[in-house]
Amino acid sequence: MLNSKNTDRHGSGLSPKVVTPAKSMALSCLSHLKCSGCGQEYSHRELHTFCPACQSPLLSIYDLKSAQQHVDRDEISQRPKGMWRWHELLPVINPENIVSLGEGDSALLGVKNLGRTLGLTNLFVKEESTNPTGSFKARGLAAAVSKAKELGIEKVIIPTAGNAGGAMAAYAARAGIQATIYMPKDTPRANIEESRIAGAEVVLVDGLISDAAGMAGERARAEGWFDLSTFKEPYRVEGKKIMGYELAEAFDWTLPDVILYPTGGGTGLIGMWKAFAELEELGWLENTKRPRMVAVQAEGCAPVIKAFETGALFCDFWTNAHTIASGLRVPKSFADSLILKDLRESHGTAIAVADKSILEAQSQLGAQEGIFPAPEGAATLAALKELIKQQWITPDERVVLFNTGSGLKYLY
Amino acid sequence: MTNNVLYIEDNPDNMMLVQRALEARGYHLLKAMKGLDGVATAEIEQVDLILLDINLPDIDGYEVAKRLRSSSKRELNSVPIIAITANALKGDAEKALEAGCDVYMSKPINIRELWARVEAFVPMP
Repeated sequence: MLNSKNTDRHGSGLSPKVVTPAKSMALSCLSHLKCSGCGQEYSHRELHTFCPACQSPLLSIYDLKSAQQHVDRDEISQRPKGMWRWHELLPVINPENIVSLGEGDSALLGVKNLGRTLGLTNLFVKEESTNPTGSFKARGLAAAVSKAKELGIEKVIIPTAGNAGGAMAAYAARAGIQATIYMPKDTPRANIEESRIAGAEVVLVDGLISDAAGMAGERARAEGWFDLSTFKEPYRVEGKKIMGYELAEAFDWTLPDVILYPTGGGTGLIGMWKAFAELEELGWLENTKRPRMVAVQAEGCAPVIKAFETGALFCDFWTNAHTIASGLRVPKSFADSLILKDLRESHGTAIAVADKSILEAQSQLGAQEGIFPAPEGAATLAALKELIKQQWITPDERVVLFNTGSGLKYLY
Repeated sequence: MTNNVLYIEDNPDNMMLVQRALEARGYHLLKAMKGLDGVATAEIEQVDLILLDINLPDIDGYEVAKRLRSSSKRELNSVPIIAITANALKGDAEKALEAGCDVYMSKPINIRELWARVEAFVPMP
């Protein structure tokens, strides 16, 4: 059963009501940071990147007992729409530091035409293109830039395949923070222009996002920029995890059976899996059945698939990466071990699709459902077809495809 | 088999991090801060695995790998080499593998991954 009242997008910004916690309750229940590798704990009141001891990503830990006592899930549903209505489970302490452009609460669309064609009765698309700057990256960068502001950061830098750069530029502009973006020179034009219009310095790199990451990292170290690369700071994943909370709410506090997610850096996949664990600990779910997570990559850059299939704990760096889905052109995620762990815990899988199948899926989503997806989003439909063929998905399962952005951003 | 790991790296912070990590697992770390010193150390010492930074102050890591692979000390033609770089230049990984490295890792070095990669070649003592 889909909770239809939560499938429409309402409101366009941040209402003061959203960020005014009850007098007895802090805005955020953030407790501390914890290393995902060695377990070392760090204060969230200090600036951190990744774990200095073992160089693994840091994750935010919340006082969920306190949240459970003071926060009512149904009251959250009554708050004005947007990502920050979940503020107790986001990392910003002072509401004045929230930098919002109205992100979150993307539509969860039932796609019956497509479902009928594929023989599925419960197929949905989480339509992330309605986020500010046209992609899901807005969620993570809203959280990261807000927390950077809270911690006194004055200039931020990021390597990007495209959409993260545009999102960071927008949020940094709104926060009054200086921004520099490194992106491959063949990044879609829209990403370059939106970043420049938001006042960011854009450096075009003759290479991939991994090359951009190296250059941005060097500049960050040399000039004191704060690096907002995927998982090289702890808070982007917190914004992304809200996708998981929204799914639970939309499905009346249960979770879908299968989630297909285009996986580059893997922030959203890891974030949602974290959200499901938090939801369970909060006691907000009607049952404890979790989805099988599916990481979707392109055949021309499939490090997660290779590692998943061989049982490896880490990905090998993918050489000569190539695909039309620029967001999937990530030769190795900094959080690869977390992606693999979460896939295995969920009894999920990883699947690579050809660029040709991505383009066919893009057309199909447009023709049958009126959705013009980003190629990364279209990749999830291509993967779904393959999984149906393999009978990995059964007809009545509740399946969610993530369209992570608008196809319009990829037009030259 | 001994448990000697040679790390050729000019950054003292990375050197210290890796030394601490590998010695905690019982490996013995040999250190070289320059490419030529690294080649010389490999020629003299018994080395079971080499960790190789690419951006070095004299000859780069690709050249180090090529020299090791063509060394008259036959063990070096097949000693495992793990390239570790900040991949600041296009195609670093491809070039490292073409030069004779077995594995490519990018910085920052995830210590758990480093342990796994090293143990794959040299079992933990």
